[in-house]
Amino acid sequence: MPTRDLTFAIVGSGGDGVITTGDMLAQTGASVGLHVMKVEAYGPQIRGGESSCTVRVSADPIYAQGDLVQVLVVFNWADFAQFRGEILAAPDAIVLYEEADDTPREEIDLGPETDDVRWVPVPFIELAKESAGTKLAKNIVTLGLLSELFMLPQEPLEQAIKGKFAKKKPEVLEANLKGFEAGKIHASKITEAASGKRMQYTAGEPMLLMSGNELSAVAALHAGCRFFAGYPITPSSEVLHLLSELMPKVGGYLVQTEDELSAIGAVIGGSFAGVKSMTATSGPGLALMTEMLGLASMAEIPAVIIDVQRGGPSTGLPTKSEQSDLWQALWGSHGDAPRVVLAPADVEDCFHATVAAFNIAEEAQVPVIVLSDQFIAQRRETLSMLTLDHEVTGRQVPSAGDLRDYKRYKETKSGISPMSWPGMKGGEYQTNGLEHTEDGSPTSMFLTHEKMNAKRYRKLRRVRDKYSFYRHYGAEKADVGIICWGSSKGPVKEAVLKANGRGERVAAFVPQLLYPFPFHEFQEFIKTVSEVIVVELSYSAQFYKYLQTFLELPEGHTYVYKRSGGKNLTVSEVEDKIQKVLEMSAMRREVLV
Amino acid sequence: MSAAGVKVELKPGAYKSGLKPVWCPGCGDFGVLNALYRAMAKLQIEPWNTVILSGIGCSSRLPGYVKTYGFNGVHGRALTLATGVKVARPELTVIAVGGDGDGLAIGGNHLIHSCRRNLDILYILMDNEIYGLTKGQVAPTTPTGDKTKSTYWGNPEPSVDPCELAISTGATWVARGFSGEMKGLTEMISAGLEHNGFSFLNVMSPCVTWRGDDQFKEMKAKVAQLPEDYDPSRRKNAVKYTREKDKITTGVLYEVEAPSLTDQLEDMKTRAMAGNGSQSTKEMLSSFYPSF
Repeated sequence: MPTRDLTFAIVGSGGDGVITTGDMLAQTGASVGLHVMKVEAYGPQIRGGESSCTVRVSADPIYAQGDLVQVLVVFNWADFAQFRGEILAAPDAIVLYEEADDTPREEIDLGPETDDVRWVPVPFIELAKESAGTKLAKNIVTLGLLSELFMLPQEPLEQAIKGKFAKKKPEVLEANLKGFEAGKIHASKITEAASGKRMQYTAGEPMLLMSGNELSAVAALHAGCRFFAGYPITPSSEVLHLLSELMPKVGGYLVQTEDELSAIGAVIGGSFAGVKSMTATSGPGLALMTEMLGLASMAEIPAVIIDVQRGGPSTGLPTKSEQSDLWQALWGSHGDAPRVVLAPADVEDCFHATVAAFNIAEEAQVPVIVLSDQFIAQRRETLSMLTLDHEVTGRQVPSAGDLRDYKRYKETKSGISPMSWPGMKGGEYQTNGLEHTEDGSPTSMFLTHEKMNAKRYRKLRRVRDKYSFYRHYGAEKADVGIICWGSSKGPVKEAVLKANGRGERVAAFVPQLLYPFPFHEFQEFIKTVSEVIVVELSYSAQFYKYLQTFLELPEGHTYVYKRSGGKNLTVSEVEDKIQKVLEMSAMRREVLV
Repeated sequence: MSAAGVKVELKPGAYKSGLKPVWCPGCGDFGVLNALYRAMAKLQIEPWNTVILSGIGCSSRLPGYVKTYGFNGVHGRALTLATGVKVARPELTVIAVGGDGDGLAIGGNHLIHSCRRNLDILYILMDNEIYGLTKGQVAPTTPTGDKTKSTYWGNPEPSVDPCELAISTGATWVARGFSGEMKGLTEMISAGLEHNGFSFLNVMSPCVTWRGDDQFKEMKAKVAQLPEDYDPSRRKNAVKYTREKDKITTGVLYEVEAPSLTDQLEDMKTRAMAGNGSQSTKEMLSSFYPSF
């Protein structure tokens, strides 16, 4: 029987071409309109060391990385061992492994349920040497093998290989094409192994293949950002990289600063000067920016900060995802420093959340943190061009009347005062990290401080009323309602839809505006569910504890599923918790009867 | 421009914000502020096209006293803010100011990199060899052995010469002034404003409160001028006038021509936009279709 959905994983050492193979698979899928999700994982080493690339290819829309791998390619079992507990084989997975690696089976941990796994030794190195004259071609051999075994589109793959080696000597391209052929021929000898796993699909229009970081960069330019200052940090650097190419093309400017202190300072400076400005960083960088986040808050200067979360604290797990910068983003400051926190929940959301962040920052003159994470920021997935558009708004500027006796921090009902910028005659003012009066002059008076604090916080009300982003999935009235945020959405959504498919009443609420929180919408949701599960990748349950600070979660009916990041949340984990709570709920009902 | 289209001449007084400085009577920073008013009037700088930025410290209060766009930021970060303003809006006149603690201790890293980038701004460092606002602690320019609030037994550390630091890290215009020398200081500020690239002006600016009444007299007695035939284009000439013990030589120590960061970024922009003009969102996204 053919399939419409396959998850591949390729594992090897840094030099094995694992990532190239995954890339080409993903590009090929996207080129024929398949839905693709590609995730790379490495150790922290720059060269060498273990690396893996997981590619899910489906004829239908997908929301999560496949939990279990159906096709596993292993060049080296020692590298695979580094991903123990992260890459798990499906019970009937096909394992294509290097024949020359004689690691005993009993030393290999493929996952909890692997009795029916089909073990298929493949002489990758030998095939590559024989056909292409070098073992370096084994990844190309792999592509030939996979395409033939699983009925993947071969024409675009061949084009991809030609493209990749176009700039090399003709012999190199020829050798690789031979490698591709050798893979196909070898596949024809082992076709039985792939039974039940051949892809069936109808080719469609090509799709975009992008990562969250790439979308954030393009979104910033779409929003009108013309100044970016940043300091390299994994896993956010792709934003800096792509903008270094694109920013001058749209007439903007970019500086790689000496540190994150300078990056946020420059962003505040650029924005003060009237130009939409942004930086991108990860948890350790956000920590360094925290003092000046307060400055942006106090001086009421728009600023957009993308924080691509990784495992922490300290250097933590630089290449892996976690949802543990939440408290830092919400509350990291001295003093009472209002800011807005947005959380994109998937790759496409990185576009919308970034544009929204600029709109909010400019309208409310506040710093806005976009809490992305490694999982959505670095994975590439297929997208349609049609949905990648978003309204752009701007800053309220002083009228001619305002400029006659300009008060930068004029008291207003909304808390928002028209903001001038250099070049506007009559708009000159001094801004300040010190508490200040309406015209910007420093003061230490209690009364002014109280009044200005109120003004600054008042602005958030408008943000909440205008931008109560949230998503609601599943049943209108539910026995179990899941609350999660950020990249947890993918597996949660897929689990909820699967449960609904089985006739279970399950729903999910995913706020994308985390602060100020869409309180009313949340209260409405809570009324429609009997049991609540909060799901998050934070060991200390930061999200659950955050909700508790201002919400009443149903007492005795609230469960928390939390764990460390470092491994992506899976659909089966979420399904498992749903089942457990459904059982609890049923038991409770029995008692009530 | 006035209604008739005739440019109204701005006098030094026109640059006063009207806010009264919080500085102690006799503070050297008054001299710097007055010289700045005069230099701005000399160049007829438009206040609305000018931004003055600072960090934290006594001298960092200066932006509030000038009728331009002003930014009194956080400690040590004046140059980071100035980088953003200048890069985002290259046509503006940008001046950063601050003290020796702000610019050389907590903000030292930013000074190094602003010099290296040749950021096209004027940076005035008011050097009183002490932390004034926090009430008298040792600073990076405090001479070795000096007793301060935080060096009860005398300063155990050597000091830094800010001009030497600026020259060695890539500033293209480096001068030393004295707050008691109004004429020379005014000339230096206006020359620094006109220079293309990073202009670093270290002004010896006595602190009557924490360095005593004698600091002004001692500094004044040490002030010396560069020789008439001094050639500031040679780094080795300039270095002779750094780490001076018995003298404070004032004047433009170093001046060379080199592309500023603004020049480089404008050139980059021209190259990037050549032939294409600006790219639309759809065009940018289109490059992410699989292409073989």
